[in-house]
Amino acid sequence: MNSVKKTAQTVVSRQWLAARGWLLLYLAGVVAITFIHYPAALAVLLVGVLAAAGMERWRYLRRTVLAILMFNLTVSVGYAIVALWQGVFVADYLLLVNLRVLLLMYLGFWFIARVSLLDALAGWPTASLLATLAISQIKTFERILSDFRAAFESRNLARPRWLDRSRHAAALTQTLLDKSLAASSEVTLAMRSRGAFDD
Amino acid sequence: MHIPDGFLSPQTYLPAYAVAAGAWAWAAKGLRAQLDETMVPRLAVLTALSYVLGIIMVPIPGGTSGHVLGVAILALAFGVRAAFVAYSLVLLLQSLLFGAGGITSLAVNALAMGLIGAGAAVAVRKLLARFGDTASIAIAAWVSVMLPGIIVALVLGMQPLIAQNAEGTPLFFPFGLSITLPAVLIPHIFIGIGEAVLTVLVWRYVRARNWVTI
Repeated sequence: MNSVKKTAQTVVSRQWLAARGWLLLYLAGVVAITFIHYPAALAVLLVGVLAAAGMERWRYLRRTVLAILMFNLTVSVGYAIVALWQGVFVADYLLLVNLRVLLLMYLGFWFIARVSLLDALAGWPTASLLATLAISQIKTFERILSDFRAAFESRNLARPRWLDRSRHAAALTQTLLDKSLAASSEVTLAMRSRGAFDD
Repeated sequence: MHIPDGFLSPQTYLPAYAVAAGAWAWAAKGLRAQLDETMVPRLAVLTALSYVLGIIMVPIPGGTSGHVLGVAILALAFGVRAAFVAYSLVLLLQSLLFGAGGITSLAVNALAMGLIGAGAAVAVRKLLARFGDTASIAIAAWVSVMLPGIIVALVLGMQPLIAQNAEGTPLFFPFGLSITLPAVLIPHIFIGIGEAVLTVLVWRYVRARNWVTI
């Protein structure tokens, strides 16, 4: 029995170490990228990362582009207008900043898809404890929001009035907080029974 | 008001990480002693609420985003240390799961919103306590949005001065203070009002259930 427990502990420790290793590699990569100021070098790196990302590469790329689109478009268009007006427009700058942001964000999404954040945070007990609970809360929030939205839509065939919408929002918030607290209390008790609060 | 990834120079974010590391160590030390089975689920609920509020955002021409923070309610209910750690976690999750903010800008975002925002909320609340709960909490929440907004605008606006190539072209964020300050602060005047209303409403819920630990 003891040897089974020991083997399980060793496997978990290796998992944590591997996650920590990926985290450090990811962070080193992020810092290194911000020291590169040549668009061509960033483009080559992006191609390399896309090649290494495997079958899911296009899904990560789509997600990355959607995540940065609004912000980068705002900054890029703003820069183009201001720089053209001042006569200092440099196309390379737009290429540099957009490639850098794309690469950094892509690495982030790839990292989180490959590595469990909870494993990577395992060395920091407070952060790990809060992350476990916060992630479980976020899931609870998402489920309640989707249930309420479906119920509200099924009750309103026509477009609901503002008064109805505000009543719905108030009821939703109240339920969200109450249910979420109940779920979180259960997780906390479970964690206590496993010694999570023992130093 | 998250600063996205890739717009801050290493000359900015590396020193910011050094400062944030000290602040995180200070906050975690105090928080560990505070955490028990009644506080943890409550903190988790409000942390998740901040997370959800923070991902509903609109881009602002100055290169950042506008959204409600939720840091004021965390700070008013659980104190600055707990709010700072919890909000830093919110920022980490938002950056990795949604691409909102980023790893390079995490320290600046956490110091501005999580530490200064939380500290401002608690200080203003104490200063104005004699004017009653609603007024003091609403103003505290508004200040907790505006002060980080000023810091974010200053940090972004300084990037063209800090990092540019030999020809004077910026290497990171392109706009100076004359653009970032109004672009970030004007929308946040109104976002701060939304934050104030929301904080007062959640505060009433929190106080009615005796969640407040400070």
